[in-house]
Amino acid sequence: MNKLLVSDIIDIKKGEYYFKCQTNDLVINVTDVVTIYLFNENLAKLDINLNKGSSLKIYLFNNSIQSNLEVNINQSDDSKLYYNAAFINTSDVLYKINNYIKGNNNISNINIRNISNSGNSRIIINVDVLSNTKDNIALEDLKGINNGGTVHIEPNIIVLSNEVMANHLTTIGSVDKNALEYLMSKGLEYEGAKEILLKGFIYSNMDNKIGENFGGD
Amino acid sequence: MLEITNLNLYIDDKVLFSNLNLTINNGEIHVLMGKNGIGKSSIAKTIMGDKNYKVEGKIIYNGQNITNLSITERAKAGIYIIGQNPIQIEGVTNAEMLRAVLAEKTGEQVNIFAFNKELEKICSSLELDKSFIHREINVGCSGGERKKIELLHMWMLKPQFIILDEIDSGLDVDALKVVANSLKKYYDLYKPSMLIITHSNTLINVFDNYFVHLIANKQIIKSGDKNLATDILNKGFKEISEESNTFVISEN
Repeated sequence: MNKLLVSDIIDIKKGEYYFKCQTNDLVINVTDVVTIYLFNENLAKLDINLNKGSSLKIYLFNNSIQSNLEVNINQSDDSKLYYNAAFINTSDVLYKINNYIKGNNNISNINIRNISNSGNSRIIINVDVLSNTKDNIALEDLKGINNGGTVHIEPNIIVLSNEVMANHLTTIGSVDKNALEYLMSKGLEYEGAKEILLKGFIYSNMDNKIGENFGGD
Repeated sequence: MLEITNLNLYIDDKVLFSNLNLTINNGEIHVLMGKNGIGKSSIAKTIMGDKNYKVEGKIIYNGQNITNLSITERAKAGIYIIGQNPIQIEGVTNAEMLRAVLAEKTGEQVNIFAFNKELEKICSSLELDKSFIHREINVGCSGGERKKIELLHMWMLKPQFIILDEIDSGLDVDALKVVANSLKKYYDLYKPSMLIITHSNTLINVFDNYFVHLIANKQIIKSGDKNLATDILNKGFKEISEESNTFVISEN
């Protein structure tokens, strides 16, 4: 894996990248098959441009998000996006994604996991499939846990074309009582059971390498 | 070991059991039989500490009144339950959960090498692929695999009082054989007490001796040895209940 300290604008080709950066504003241009592991507590704006035929699998993990984040993703033709983000907030935060599908035969698959420990977390996911396009797929899987704070999710898929497969799944809840009791019946204390469940939830859409690089299991 | 005395059990103000008494001594196996919906699982969950039930009376375990103890405290005392439909837990692997429980139990970090070796050995005896060790708990598993995974947990946690709530339901013949043999092996090795809820004698017949209790009318209406299970299965609940001079009303 390539480990880079990056800032501002990066053009990446084929490979797997691990980015740890402090910049507030990041632009990623993708031209091939790329996997990115990104850790940045201060990131406020992220622009991703997927060129024709490119594929991006991106993992963003943030165990204490510090600022609002706006992500703009542009897809042209024949591109694949697998956007996986997990974050924990302890204050009010806005997490917004604008995904523009401008051409044909693209896949957009956005997965978000959020635990709100305190404050309000507002997650707005806009996927726009523009007119005069075809054979696109738009999927959203957005889950939040109210754990002292509050999660608010707005899943929007705006389709201006006839030939699209679109689906969204949104769940907001608290820690599953049945799961807690199950783990307690094995001998875990309430707090330990809750901790293991929250950890399992926040890592559930992350790759194992997130744990290896960012200190999780 | 376990003594239930004058237990009245309610859920949402509905009486499930009235004046229930049951004593299970060290190493004894007791079987609860009765019609569907009669409340057998409620007894199992109540012993484990499910707070959805209102309890009057006493549950004494190893001389300690556990009636008001938490689920965790009961589990730490050695009580273990395998439910009818073990739930799946996304994001938590079997190994991760077991490591956490064992670390909490012993106060020491688990020796990963020995831990993995033991898990692999148990998986093999349960005819369970060792990949299950690092898979999320019961996620994507068949009914048979779930029951085997619960047995994997049991072997690692080594409880002394085991409640099996229809562990034999929904298992194919091969899986049932593996599950029954595993339980028999565990019993022969550790001599735990067991409370088994079942509708068949296939599983319980692997044990040499056991007590059987027939439940109806919010009570245990008849108790006996293993022959009672055969009688119940041959004659049906209604006939056996009538023999014991109890009028059976609908559980609804």
